[in-house]
Amino acid sequence: MKMKKLFQFSVLSSMLILSACSGGGEQAAGEKEGKGGSGGAVKVDIGVVSYISGPGAAYGEAITGGLKLAQKEINAKGEVDINLVIEDSAGKQDQALTAAQKLINSENVTAIIGPTLSTEMNVVGPEADLSGVPIMGTSTTADGIPQIGDYVFRNSIPEALAIPASMKKAVEKYDAKKVAILYGNDDVFTKSGFDTMKKAAEDMGLEVLTIETFQKGQSDYNAQLTKIKGLNPDMILCSALYNEGAVIMDQARKMGIDVPFVGGNGFNSPEVIKIAGDAADGLIVATPWYGEKDDPKVKEFVSNFEKEYGKKPDQFAAQAYDALYIMAEALKNAGEADRDALRDALAEVKDFNGILGNFSFDEEGDVVMDPTVLVIEDGAFKIFE
Amino acid sequence: MLAELINPYHFQVASFILINIILGISVYITLSTGQLSLANAGFMGIGAYTSALLTIHFDLPIVLGIIAGALVAALLGILIGIPTLRLQGVYLAIVTLGFGEVIRVVFINWESLTKGSVGISGIPHIGREILSTLKGFGFDPKVLGLQNNQFIFLSIFLLLFIITIGVIWFFRRQHRSRVGRAFAAIKLDEKAAESMGINITYYKVLAFAQGALLSGFAGALYAHVLAYISPADFAYHRAVEILIFVVFGGSEVIWGPIFGAFFLTLMPEVLRFISEYRYMIYGLIIIILMAVRPQGLIDVNLLNWVKTKGKKRGQKHGTGNTKSM
Repeated sequence: MKMKKLFQFSVLSSMLILSACSGGGEQAAGEKEGKGGSGGAVKVDIGVVSYISGPGAAYGEAITGGLKLAQKEINAKGEVDINLVIEDSAGKQDQALTAAQKLINSENVTAIIGPTLSTEMNVVGPEADLSGVPIMGTSTTADGIPQIGDYVFRNSIPEALAIPASMKKAVEKYDAKKVAILYGNDDVFTKSGFDTMKKAAEDMGLEVLTIETFQKGQSDYNAQLTKIKGLNPDMILCSALYNEGAVIMDQARKMGIDVPFVGGNGFNSPEVIKIAGDAADGLIVATPWYGEKDDPKVKEFVSNFEKEYGKKPDQFAAQAYDALYIMAEALKNAGEADRDALRDALAEVKDFNGILGNFSFDEEGDVVMDPTVLVIEDGAFKIFE
Repeated sequence: MLAELINPYHFQVASFILINIILGISVYITLSTGQLSLANAGFMGIGAYTSALLTIHFDLPIVLGIIAGALVAALLGILIGIPTLRLQGVYLAIVTLGFGEVIRVVFINWESLTKGSVGISGIPHIGREILSTLKGFGFDPKVLGLQNNQFIFLSIFLLLFIITIGVIWFFRRQHRSRVGRAFAAIKLDEKAAESMGINITYYKVLAFAQGALLSGFAGALYAHVLAYISPADFAYHRAVEILIFVVFGGSEVIWGPIFGAFFLTLMPEVLRFISEYRYMIYGLIIIILMAVRPQGLIDVNLLNWVKTKGKKRGQKHGTGNTKSM
């Protein structure tokens, strides 16, 4: 008899699940992707998976801010009519996956922009690829993202491109031969940054004196820095996020280490100057985005963004802004809101001139672009020559 | 007809609900002897990593990988259980919390095996494997009028559904067996139970190992449903999340964690239309519930009330005794 009740319960619960399911499903089946009428604008739904709630919500805010600004401008031009469907991933892989599933299957979007983190992209990418939906990361810098599949793209400069660029320039200028590496080993960003640094150092024939590690939230780096100081390197390669990185620089300068630092993407933040002050001088980073660039497009974007949101755009906003323009460009070339046509058009994007610079996809969907190398001098980011 | 009903998004959510139900039950089992364990996220990680690594490096079938993952987690549960179960209440919680963190740090630092914090991608996906196996036998989802990805998620859902029903059935049976009575006795009063001749150490370790086994099992399933894992998935946030399923739904009866996992996994999805505010609502609901019903939403009284109500309406629900839950 108990079994019978159990059975009843299970039937009931499965019906509940199914009924919860079918509601949205019917709508989705009814909708068809908008096709551009004769001569009219190409109407398209683009899904966005972003980190809107949780500890990294600032990323999501910047990204959706950049996207919305670009959407307004693109729609005003009238060639493409973009509707953004924004979903939150809360920075979790499972949430990112369900959000993407919703966009792909319930909202029937033509393409997806996002998700924010590389870890999320590792989960969402294969699913989008199997479903045949073009997906473009705007902030995913880890290795191997566009290699997931034919439908996976990104417009964020991977560490594998940014770090060697900054190292090369720094090595040329300072004629460095011996380097020390310092990195955070419990974070995806800093760990993959370190892998790139080590490889680049080997490729350039630099002598690596020592490799030191630290953990997230550590506040005393004297042990590692004392060792590095004793070895007397020409340059320090430091793969850290800005909050730890700034403290490291501060303690290093106090200890009398005055060699230049080369950092990864996570180190690239105005916060470094705020936290470390004068000690931040001599930090070299490669970045796709430089807000002070003498380019009318960049100036217009910065002033529009400031007018809309009351603050200066960061690299995440800029990358998202450019990403939607790239999508719009591809849609215009495809001429219809079709997933496969859009993918083919995206793959052909070449020499796109955005606020980040001259942009192309390579055959894998990865970025071909020259990053700008910046250095902190007198408390401000300047172009490193 | 069938094709229109099946939306991979809904089945994806349903799959996570089912996995979370298994996780909820794993905490409930240890709690049913009065032990509060926060190590379940760690055990989940062990199961996930074991199964993922075995299936990737040794081409083991997923089924064997998942079983191995669950067993390794259970073995570790016994090893950890024996020394730590001398501790009680909050001290046990602290030790198990620490254990979970140790596991995570091992995953981060054992880079040659786990690829560190970058995580493992390319784990065989249950649904895709089922599809390719069936295709090997000449089966095509189009026979049922389904797209490939619809079939993939339908098969995952059905598989998890059967597994979850099996798990619930087993633990409800166990609850009414000698073992279940012993668990309940230990929870109510350890000294009294011991003086009645119940081998406390045995039953406590048994409950702890069962919890570890289930967490490891759920973790292995999680790895093969998501196809990517990283140490951050098994941090203490996950432990607290699982605990909330039980605390929210109620820890007295097995329906508590089941309802808790169901409701709290579905909630953020249903609330998607208010985007960034959804977790505020989520938090608010938990606060209100804890203020109004500190014992959790579902308890013995509620179930009895539902049953008597059912009887009054003259429906025959069977004659099982009402205290059996």
